Amino acid sequence: MAAPFIRVEGLGKTYVMGEKRLEVLRGLSLEIAAGELVALTGPSGSGKSTFLNVLGTLDSPSAGRVFYDGADAFAGGEEALASFRNLNIGFVFQSHHLLPEFTALDNAAMPGLIRRLPRAEAYGRAEEMLVQVGLGDRLHHRPGELSGGEQQRVALARALALKPRLLLADEPTGNLDPRTAEGIHALITELNARLGITAVVVTHNEQLARTLPRRLHLSRGQLEKESL
Amino acid sequence: MTGTGPAPGMSEPTPPTSPPASDEAPAAPPGAAHPVAPVFSTRAFLLVLVGLVGAANGAPLLQALLAGRGGLPPTLAMAGAVALAALLAAACGAVAALWTRRIGFYEVTAAMLLWGATVGLRVAALGSQRGAAAGLEGLEQQGLLVVVLGLLGAGALAATAVFVGATLAYLFGGTGRLDLSVSFEFYVAKSHLKLTRRTLLALFALVVTGILPGLLFLFVRSMVADARERRAERRGLLMGRRRMAETLLMTLISIGGVAIGAWALTVVLSVMNGFEGDLKAKILGQNAHGILMKSGQNEFTEWRTVRDQVLAVPGVVGATPFLVNEVMLSSGQRLTGALVKGIDPATIGSVTDLPAAVEKGGKLEWLTSPELIPRSPLRDLDEPPSGRRLAGIVVGREMARSLRVDVGDQVNVISPFGDLGPVGPQPRSRAFRVAAIFFSGMYEYDAKFAYLDLDEARRFFGTGDGVTGLELKVSDVDRARPILSRVTAALGGWPYRTKDWGELNRNLFSALRMEKLVMAVILGFIVLVASFIIVATLIMLVLEKTREIAVLKSMGAGIPSIMKIFVIEGMIIGAVGTFFGLVLGYGTCLLVGDVGIPLDPEVYYIDNLPVRIDPSQWVMVALMSLALAFLATIYPATKAARLRPVDGLRSE
Repeated sequence: MAAPFIRVEGLGKTYVMGEKRLEVLRGLSLEIAAGELVALTGPSGSGKSTFLNVLGTLDSPSAGRVFYDGADAFAGGEEALASFRNLNIGFVFQSHHLLPEFTALDNAAMPGLIRRLPRAEAYGRAEEMLVQVGLGDRLHHRPGELSGGEQQRVALARALALKPRLLLADEPTGNLDPRTAEGIHALITELNARLGITAVVVTHNEQLARTLPRRLHLSRGQLEKESL
Repeated sequence: MTGTGPAPGMSEPTPPTSPPASDEAPAAPPGAAHPVAPVFSTRAFLLVLVGLVGAANGAPLLQALLAGRGGLPPTLAMAGAVALAALLAAACGAVAALWTRRIGFYEVTAAMLLWGATVGLRVAALGSQRGAAAGLEGLEQQGLLVVVLGLLGAGALAATAVFVGATLAYLFGGTGRLDLSVSFEFYVAKSHLKLTRRTLLALFALVVTGILPGLLFLFVRSMVADARERRAERRGLLMGRRRMAETLLMTLISIGGVAIGAWALTVVLSVMNGFEGDLKAKILGQNAHGILMKSGQNEFTEWRTVRDQVLAVPGVVGATPFLVNEVMLSSGQRLTGALVKGIDPATIGSVTDLPAAVEKGGKLEWLTSPELIPRSPLRDLDEPPSGRRLAGIVVGREMARSLRVDVGDQVNVISPFGDLGPVGPQPRSRAFRVAAIFFSGMYEYDAKFAYLDLDEARRFFGTGDGVTGLELKVSDVDRARPILSRVTAALGGWPYRTKDWGELNRNLFSALRMEKLVMAVILGFIVLVASFIIVATLIMLVLEKTREIAVLKSMGAGIPSIMKIFVIEGMIIGAVGTFFGLVLGYGTCLLVGDVGIPLDPEVYYIDNLPVRIDPSQWVMVALMSLALAFLATIYPATKAARLRPVDGLRSE
């Protein structure tokens, strides 16, 4: 049997602050198949963001392992992780985290430039993805000149410009009004279906979470239930 | 041999090896203990040490080799040796960095400390067994402090070369493959600096106009804007006034600092060059490039044949015999000591500039035909018109002034080596007529030198056919020494020996060189301080861009990439500042050279501040300020690269 796309084994994350030990994740295990669209819900402080960061190799686990295609993601050094992220993962954060001095197109082209793609190719892919998220007419606007929903769409285009295998979205709609939030969710669902990108979306919004095919609930650092 | 704490350019702390005991999830497999790279590598340390010691010790050897075997002129040999040694050091650093995948700060520092300790030991050894340490004799003559500073300086320079090599290698190969591209890093760096053509032009104008007018303008403008803002606030109007970003201000200040440093350095060095060149021209104008003398008891009577032999040596363009003696000169009640030189007026012009230095009213040729000298109508009354014709003498302007004589006047030359009189040796005295007055521009020469015709001088001093030696002129002043050694070789060596102008005036020129070096070091501190401002500016930028760095890292930008961004920022600041400084320096030098800053010739013996631009010095200044800017970027860059993405991304 082929290894699943993502396999998490006994994932633990403990922060040590002086005398205090803060256990954020406690022995989390799960598998995610390629192409799945997963909603991750849970109350504040349940470890959703930490889980996402460890899954995205931004943070290293204190215990357990994360396997991608059967290979330990954290086996290599920092440089290996960086290039792994660049090749496989796209992030969308709660606040869009776009680079304010650059236009939407520049922002979306940044991962391609980091990968050292030729300029024309990086910009071509960026433009293509911006058109897909419906911002074909906003290419040369800076983040400050865009609305919140538009900013988050640019962030989505940036995350997906290089067609990564995994999209990790940390409350992408947390700062948006319900209607715009719905639009973003719909867009993620659509892109997941169209591009076959695996996606894990952290959200507070149970209503929106219910629209996604697979739902995980995190509570006090542990996976509570899985409602299919 | 292990340090603590993360090394610059190192990955963030790797996960702890033992998993926390968790009773709630007993099935959890233990966390994988991934290998952690050590912060200190002995292998890399040894390599760095080899580079440092090799470069610091090898540079003088290389220089000797290049100058001796290669036959290069000393300055070029020096530059070549330093460049080669720096390359060697940088290569060692680069290999160490690629091995360890770190910039090797700890290793380089440890090697430098070790070098410093050995300097102490070597100096202590110097005290106990003099002359044992090879290659240090030259330094030793100049005192212990110079030795210590020289060794430490060489070590510091070599360590810098190693570190620069290591850092560059890490920046371009730290990911494990060669990555020379800086495209997106440059792009991001530019956005951080926010430098537009307009702000740069404004800054340049500010520095060019001497800062004060620009500051006054800004002061007035800021006052007007403040007043307007206050009025608007009173009326309840909200007025958005565009303010300059703090980081932009810091950037501009650092650029200005580097510019002022490079400017001061180039101008002062050029003026000091001017003084040195002026001095050299004056000394070489009145003196030959070298002299040939005969040692031993035998008189130098065969100088005519020797002169022909010497002139046949390639590189020698002129030779003239001379005879020199110390005498006293008197005119009326006035008396002065002088160095009188017997010269051959026919050939002296082929060696020195004496003919050109003769002032109007006199002629050098009158030395050989004194009957042509116009008589001074007043003072010659006492001379019997039927008496023997007086021989001619040429004196310097200052001497003529102190003796109050002019062309045609008489002076008495008194030599201590006189005839044997009834009560022992008596000074010999004879009257000469001033045939010409010369002005060399060197006070010492104009006040102390007098020239006689060679034959007259021989007769006066009773030296028969002998001369003191030959004065030589060579085709290239800076290669005087090798040409002169060829002359000695052509003559078969002993008893002939030569001295070049550098040896003849060693004290003067080594003092000048030392002065220039000290000046360069002191002014270099301005650039050093400017590089501290660069450090501060970049740290501020790093703090401001924490989130952006985290985002770039989440998108897969590696440590070298993040470092590159901030290194590029510092280098832009350094390069723009250096460029401004050099342009300003060049403009100032042209201005000082063309328009001139008048000096009191009575005091300085020069009527204008001399300026001579030496391109190699300018290249050195540019390289130095760029290197300092580069070093200044390393700390902020590693600080940025070590930021954990999770910290930067945490929602506010």
